[in-house]
Amino acid sequence: MISANAALHGSYDYSEVARSVLIAIAASYGALNLTGRVTTASGRVRLPWLSGGAVAMGIGIWAMHLKAMLAFQLPVSVAYHWPTTLVAFLVAILASAIALFFASRQKMGRLEAVTGSIFMGAGIAGLHYLLMAAMRLPATIGYSPLLVACSILLAVLFSLIALLLAFGLREETRWTIQRRAGSAIVMGTAISAMHYTGMAAASFFPSSPPDLSHAVNVSPVANNGIAIVTLIVILAAVMTSSVDRRASVEIQRLNKDLERRVAERTRQLEAVNQKLRNEIAERERAEEGVRRSEDRLRLVIDTLPALVWSKLPDGSADFLNQRFREYTGLSVDEGLGWGWMRKAFHPEDQTEEEWRAAFAAGQPFEKEARMRRADGAYRWFMHRAVPLRDELGNVVKWYGITTDIEERKRSETALQEARDRLAHVTRTHAMGELAAAIAHEINQPLTAIVTNANFSLRQLISSSPNLAELQTAITEIVNDGTRASAVISRIRALLMKGALSRVQVDINEIVEDVISLLRNELTRNRVNLRTELASNLPRVLGDSVQLQQVLINLIMNAIEAIRFSAEHSGRLVIRSGRSADGVWVQVQDYGPGIEPELAELVFEPFFTTKVEGIGMGLSISRSIIESHGGQLSLVSSRQGALFEFVLTVATND
Amino acid sequence: MTETASIVFVVDDDPSVRRAIKRLVESVGLHVELFGSAAEFMDSSRPNVVSCLVLDIRLPGISGLHFQRELIKAKNEIPTIFITAHGDIPMTVRAMKAGAVEFLTKPFRDQDLLDAIQVALERDRARRQRYADVALLRERLDSLTPREREVLPLVVSGLLNKQVAAEIGTTEGTIKVHRSQLMRKMGADSLPELVRIAEKVGISGSKQ
Repeated sequence: MISANAALHGSYDYSEVARSVLIAIAASYGALNLTGRVTTASGRVRLPWLSGGAVAMGIGIWAMHLKAMLAFQLPVSVAYHWPTTLVAFLVAILASAIALFFASRQKMGRLEAVTGSIFMGAGIAGLHYLLMAAMRLPATIGYSPLLVACSILLAVLFSLIALLLAFGLREETRWTIQRRAGSAIVMGTAISAMHYTGMAAASFFPSSPPDLSHAVNVSPVANNGIAIVTLIVILAAVMTSSVDRRASVEIQRLNKDLERRVAERTRQLEAVNQKLRNEIAERERAEEGVRRSEDRLRLVIDTLPALVWSKLPDGSADFLNQRFREYTGLSVDEGLGWGWMRKAFHPEDQTEEEWRAAFAAGQPFEKEARMRRADGAYRWFMHRAVPLRDELGNVVKWYGITTDIEERKRSETALQEARDRLAHVTRTHAMGELAAAIAHEINQPLTAIVTNANFSLRQLISSSPNLAELQTAITEIVNDGTRASAVISRIRALLMKGALSRVQVDINEIVEDVISLLRNELTRNRVNLRTELASNLPRVLGDSVQLQQVLINLIMNAIEAIRFSAEHSGRLVIRSGRSADGVWVQVQDYGPGIEPELAELVFEPFFTTKVEGIGMGLSISRSIIESHGGQLSLVSSRQGALFEFVLTVATND
Repeated sequence: MTETASIVFVVDDDPSVRRAIKRLVESVGLHVELFGSAAEFMDSSRPNVVSCLVLDIRLPGISGLHFQRELIKAKNEIPTIFITAHGDIPMTVRAMKAGAVEFLTKPFRDQDLLDAIQVALERDRARRQRYADVALLRERLDSLTPREREVLPLVVSGLLNKQVAAEIGTTEGTIKVHRSQLMRKMGADSLPELVRIAEKVGISGSKQ
């Protein structure tokens, strides 16, 4: 044993120091590399990689320390207690595991970094001082507390740096190897610095020889062997991890690519889905809108106050609105097909052939027919139909409405009856007038006859009869008798009753007859009558009594107009002539005329400009002429009123 | 009867009827003049003799009834006999009210017409006589002095001479003279006759 009063002076084998630093750098590189690998590993492969990495790193750190210890040469022989050394080796592995664990996590906060580095630093420092404790030499070891603290602090500090570097360099990039190499140099140097600081904290004092049980001497060959084995282990770990990581990175890249593509595809699908969902929603909305609009239309069609229907091109119904069904009392099925006619129409109006023909014609049409109401009453209806065509013009559907025209029908009938009645009344009235005219016409010659006859009698019983005058008187009696007879025969012709005859008549003859009948009327009203009758007119088919009635009416109107005219020229012209249509007759007065806006009104029943007129004359006259197939109209003229009627020429002449 | 001095005017639009009437009426010795219308009749210059009018109701231009009213308006009081082919009661009433002598329906009995004409002429003659009498009396009235003219109504009203004298402020004797002059000038033989004459000339028995 050496005395304790003088510290043993140690020296360093610098080549060994260099080798220890190299190992430290190599170990650091291995650690950084493994961190990246452990980070990328996950699940079941993570634990083997973590343990393997920890072992490799632990070996590196442990070997570096051992190497550095062996580089320290003391003047005494140094042996190592191998169980302690083994413990130190385990501590190194543990520290490495902790470091790898922290550095390979997904995230590393400040707390994790500090905690990790404290554990790691503690481990490394522990390793160092355990190895110091494993030394067996004939000296005691004294420690400078300051430098020990310093060394521990450095260990923690370098651990922090190492963790941060390792964490930052986990990802494989283009410059990873260079940056890792730089970092490994920094770390290796730092580890070495920590170690040699620790070594500097120790002082060796000579003492009794150590207990050399379980101690081994490390020969230079063993020393170098440790270094070589360590380097091989680290190199193997690095290469394995590197290759594996590349594969892993490739897989990961493929995975990521796949994931990206899957994500891309998913996104696309999602977009398509969304679009589809939108479209579906849109369609649903549209369908809802259509349904609502259909409901509304149906409501409108069902409630509007008309009977509405649609039919197929052949006329069979495929829709009858609610009003139609309610009115007829038919069910939906009963009215379809031809039920609308066979089950609702009046038997007399079930003219199916006519209806089929109308539908087949394909043109809009209207037809009147009576329909039975639900209570059994029949009313007149107007059925109007319009076709819907396709682009080729074929009828694809008929649409129509059926309107109640009962009131109109009734008033039409009533009007017709009133007209007939009035026509009768007017005719009767005209007869009364005529009777007065007849009485006068007959009485004039009769008066002359009676008076002359009385004169003759007086002459015959006279003592001195005036024979010449007697002869004149009797001659006049004969003349007046003939005249009366002519009047009678004309009147008989005029009054002949019976069915309307259609015989061939000479219109000029009728004009002459009427003038003759009205001679007195004309004279009395100082009418200046002129006739311009065309000769050789063809005969027309007609009823002479009715035609006379028309002419009497026109001439009487003219006489009245003349009477009310201011200038009293009294002119009346009756003309006849031939036209393409047939034969025409004109009656023109030169009275005040008829205002153009009244031109059509004058033919209306009950329209009159006379104070005592009943407004039927022209109406009846027109219907008479129309019943002859002709036309009666008011022709515009410069003066007075000009009425003209045209009659067709008799064809079977 | 001075028949030759009378004229029967006939207005009818039917020449045959006109001629027959003329023949008949002339056969009883009356003078007849014919017209086709009322206007023709009005336009003619007619002698101022006893006459009557046979008028057809139905005439060209204005009707017979209308013409009758025109004549009355013109103070022409010629007696009128209407003849018509188809007279009705209202028409007849109107004509008679307006003073028609007769309303005959054609064809009429000859005697009815002749009788009606006689009545009409007689009526015209009487009318003319009345007018002639009044004209004479008016002449006599005009011959009175103003004083006599003043006394006449008082006498006619039945006052005594004394009262008349008091009325006009003169003596009874003077009135007596006026009165006898009055009676003489007016051609009255008695007071009642004077009263009748005074009435004819439109002097009533009261103070004028």
